[in-house]
Amino acid sequence: MTQAAHASLLRPRGGTTGTLLAPATIVAVVLLVAPLFLLLRYSLNRFDPGSLMIEALTLENYVKFFTDPFYRDVLGRTIHIGVVSTAVCVVLGFLPAYFIARTQSVKMKSLLIIAVILPLLMGNAVRVAGWMVLMGDSGVINAAVMKLGLRSEPYRLLYTDLAVLIGTISVQLPFMIITLQSVIESIHPSLEEAALGMGANHWQVFSRVLLPLSMPGVVVGTVLCFIMGMNAYATPVLIGGPTFHMMAPKVYEQITKANNWPFGAAMAIVLMVTTLVLTMLSSWLMARMSGHGSVEAKA
Amino acid sequence: MKLPRLGTWAYYGIVGATLAFVVAPLLAVIWVSVFVNKIIGFPPTGYTLKWYANAWALVDFREGFLLSLQLALLATAIGLAIGVPAALALARARFRGKAFISTLLLSPMMVPGVVAGSGVYLYFIQIELLSGVQLAATLPGLIAAHVVIVIPWVVRLVTTALLSVSENVEEAAQNLGATPLQTFWRVTLPIARPGLVAGALFSFIVSFTDLEKSLFLVGPGRTTLPIAIINYLEWNLDPTIAAVATVQIFIIGLALVISDRYVKLSRAF
Repeated sequence: MTQAAHASLLRPRGGTTGTLLAPATIVAVVLLVAPLFLLLRYSLNRFDPGSLMIEALTLENYVKFFTDPFYRDVLGRTIHIGVVSTAVCVVLGFLPAYFIARTQSVKMKSLLIIAVILPLLMGNAVRVAGWMVLMGDSGVINAAVMKLGLRSEPYRLLYTDLAVLIGTISVQLPFMIITLQSVIESIHPSLEEAALGMGANHWQVFSRVLLPLSMPGVVVGTVLCFIMGMNAYATPVLIGGPTFHMMAPKVYEQITKANNWPFGAAMAIVLMVTTLVLTMLSSWLMARMSGHGSVEAKA
Repeated sequence: MKLPRLGTWAYYGIVGATLAFVVAPLLAVIWVSVFVNKIIGFPPTGYTLKWYANAWALVDFREGFLLSLQLALLATAIGLAIGVPAALALARARFRGKAFISTLLLSPMMVPGVVAGSGVYLYFIQIELLSGVQLAATLPGLIAAHVVIVIPWVVRLVTTALLSVSENVEEAAQNLGATPLQTFWRVTLPIARPGLVAGALFSFIVSFTDLEKSLFLVGPGRTTLPIAIINYLEWNLDPTIAAVATVQIFIIGLALVISDRYVKLSRAF
């Protein structure tokens, strides 16, 4: 193989590599990293109702956030929804993932994977529309209940904590199923058969063979679900209603409606840092519990 | 793994119920979109397609649809133009800081939409204050924000595809007299094409369905389809909104079915 064969496009080196990478890298830095730093900087400014924002270097927005019971409550509720919905997804996600991973029929598998990925990629607007059509006062469930004469008044399904949880879980669950499915697929079925052959029962096969081997998938799935649960916007706004407060809608409100940029920016930073810290904490805990030194996240 | 009989039924039951739960909102929307009565009743007294015409007649939905389409196509085109070269470098070149660049390019996937959206919104306003160029609530502003969220998909899917092209094939082409450029166009790209197609389709989907980031960047008379949907939902719940949502389901479904022919969908995440 001659040096001449190393054509620049096929084996980019030095300057060519830089040229190839520059546009995407610049876009990511200019339109993602820089805005995040700006957010951090704004969060240290001072709000003034007259001139909107005064340059400053103060932590007062953070102090206001953590000393105001209302906002502490909003953060608490956000963490609560994030944790509970993620835990439910871990429990509910495993069996469907296992089923899809082990289906012999190629057609069936393809169909099921599309059935999971379609809702996953549908975006929150359409999914929320679906849950409202199902759970609204004049929605499908209530229409059916009243038609059957079970009740004369509709059930209040929307605007409850449970409805928000259901909506959030339906956003996250497809991610959990797909992530676990990929991992389980890579575990050879003969391992389960061997365990069964040596006298393990089904629970033992699950807890001693399948679960430890799929731990990397569980960690990735948990992280993804938790990020989505903590940062939900459409679900709390539309399914939770005007009195259900979570962080992401409050950030939006402060920045675009109240025009309190410093406080909105501080809330965004709090939301991101809380998500990040809890994410790292949970991956660390799961890695410890599963006995591995470290489990690396795929994404 | 063979399960005892009762266990088998419980297993199928749980799997079926969970999958039904995942698709329920989409099926509900599709079903209600053809109900004849404006007030959702059960069972419906008849079926109709009139709500689709009704939805198209509403200016917010029509223009939202056209804007989302335009936005997704442009963001995908730009995303490919800058993402494919980056993927090429990540797949083929050896250089210091590769892991860092790779993480940077994939990070938009992990930064929550509302956080990134509020950052970009304030950033655009800051630019406007400094230079007088308006970006928030404009099409270029939306495109810029969407390019960032499609880049990770292009980079990830195209890098994987390029890594699957054996260097031996390329060397063979060159030994047979192909120039590097010919080899690239006639050998490397065709082999990597499934990844390119999938990258393009996923970019389109991610941009078309984006809600959280666009939320900050739309303006009066310039609303994307997902935002038109949630604005309408705040006050109304009727078959018209179901029809609009169904249109989005079919567009995304079509894009997915096409992707399925090119890549193993479950590995795209």
